[in-house]
Amino acid sequence: MANGSALEIRNVSKRFDLGKGRSVTAVEGITFNVEQNSIVVLLGPSGCGKSTILRMMAGLETPSAGEIVIGGRTVDGPARDRGMVFQAYTSFDWLSVRKNVEFGMKINGVPAAKRRAQAEHFIKLVGLEKFADVYPSQLSGGMRQRVAIARTLANDPEVLLMDEPFGALDAETRWLMQELMVNVAEQTNTTMVIVTHDLEEAIFLADKIVFLSSHPGRVKEEIRPAFKAGKRIDDKEVVIKLDGYSDLEGHLMHLMREEGRGLE
Amino acid sequence: MSIHRPSKQFFGLRKPVGRRQRLLSALGIWIVFFGVWVFAAAAGLVNELLVPAPQQVFATTFDLFYGRGFASDVLISISRVLGAFAMACAVAVPLGVMMGSFPAIEAIFAPFVSAWRYLPAPSFIPILLMWFGTGEAPKLALLFIGVIFFLITLVMDHTKHVREELVETALTLGANRGTVVMKVIFPAVLPNIVVAMRQMLAMAWTYLVIAEIVASSTGIGAMMMRARRFLKTDEILSGIIVIGVLGLLFDLLFAALHRWAFPYLRKV
Repeated sequence: MANGSALEIRNVSKRFDLGKGRSVTAVEGITFNVEQNSIVVLLGPSGCGKSTILRMMAGLETPSAGEIVIGGRTVDGPARDRGMVFQAYTSFDWLSVRKNVEFGMKINGVPAAKRRAQAEHFIKLVGLEKFADVYPSQLSGGMRQRVAIARTLANDPEVLLMDEPFGALDAETRWLMQELMVNVAEQTNTTMVIVTHDLEEAIFLADKIVFLSSHPGRVKEEIRPAFKAGKRIDDKEVVIKLDGYSDLEGHLMHLMREEGRGLE
Repeated sequence: MSIHRPSKQFFGLRKPVGRRQRLLSALGIWIVFFGVWVFAAAAGLVNELLVPAPQQVFATTFDLFYGRGFASDVLISISRVLGAFAMACAVAVPLGVMMGSFPAIEAIFAPFVSAWRYLPAPSFIPILLMWFGTGEAPKLALLFIGVIFFLITLVMDHTKHVREELVETALTLGANRGTVVMKVIFPAVLPNIVVAMRQMLAMAWTYLVIAEIVASSTGIGAMMMRARRFLKTDEILSGIIVIGVLGLLFDLLFAALHRWAFPYLRKV
């Protein structure tokens, strides 16, 4: 699994200017690698700047110091090699599910025939084949996120960035979506970076967890869930019962607690 | 065995009203209005020269259309409104979308546009008459001035409210600025633009009547001013009714356009 790096975050800091000469440091000296074809989860308490890091990877924010490198090039603004899925629904309401999924390919000049085939493939992959021709407003929240995921994947990015993608969904839908993502990762070999504050989600999805401390965000620990023995398991019930699951959950909980206390 | 149903109150506190009740209520208020009018006229409670009976007003309306070519006045008024309104939209929609999409463009035009909004359009009538004479131009100019600055501001505000995530999604899919504006921001804001146009068209009718009353020999407003000179209150009231009906029709037309053009907004 561990090949070269798809994405390297090198000593990245981000300060936000608050005006009147004041500023706040959101993240500081962040360094980690995202290996090719791996799922990396950015985990940490709220306010640790994990979304800021993801947005800098996407090119939607600019680092104040340091650099982010993809395929040997420094990231400079958003581009199709880094697709992003947001927590808020981003379906284009005026387009059918199919047209939504084709959107990225269309603006990038992919020929119509290939576009249609590719869209068909990814709509099937996320299980929306029965809904290909309806408008997103007729879909549930979980299904809309499936549209967003299919739309991003169909555009063939090097890395899929997801910012708390299932945060707005109810528990059982979230669970299904997490299992879907493991399947998608296995079938498409897509490199993923997922931001979450949900311990279970992190343990279930991650090949590697990057735990961040808060105020300012720094990398506190990099954790590879050893109990999965380098395998991906797409059944959450199975994962929860594996030896070592609860140890890791306990450890992460402890880290979260430590960060929480630091605030008081 | 009978099932006990809780009785439904006519004045239910914040309870939705059924279709039938709504229709009857709407009909009822108009029946009361015309009832009072008919009664007041028949009983001689009002000066019949100043307040003719409704049946007489409707008869006059009919006569105006079929006997005295009022239709051509109505058509002139409609074409003035639509002509000026189309010109205003042709400028305001693209400009408003650009201002709402690019803060740099807003910074250039907003100070100019918002200043004009505080100037009542009718205050330009004297100068417009001097510049353009008495033809169609001053009327179209008044409607244009009256509508365009509000429309620009409305379109800009709606455009600004297009959610940032939609823009960022498009950017991370590889869209350039032009594509984001044309393929995401514009279609996202279009339903609200149509709503803004609907509101502004009502305003255009207001300015039309002002223009025709002040300086015109044709159109609905001019007919009403002519009627005033000959104390024809029934014709004046006919004019008011026709303007009201036209406004209502155009409003319904826009509502239908909205439903037809944006099927994805229909609630299922």
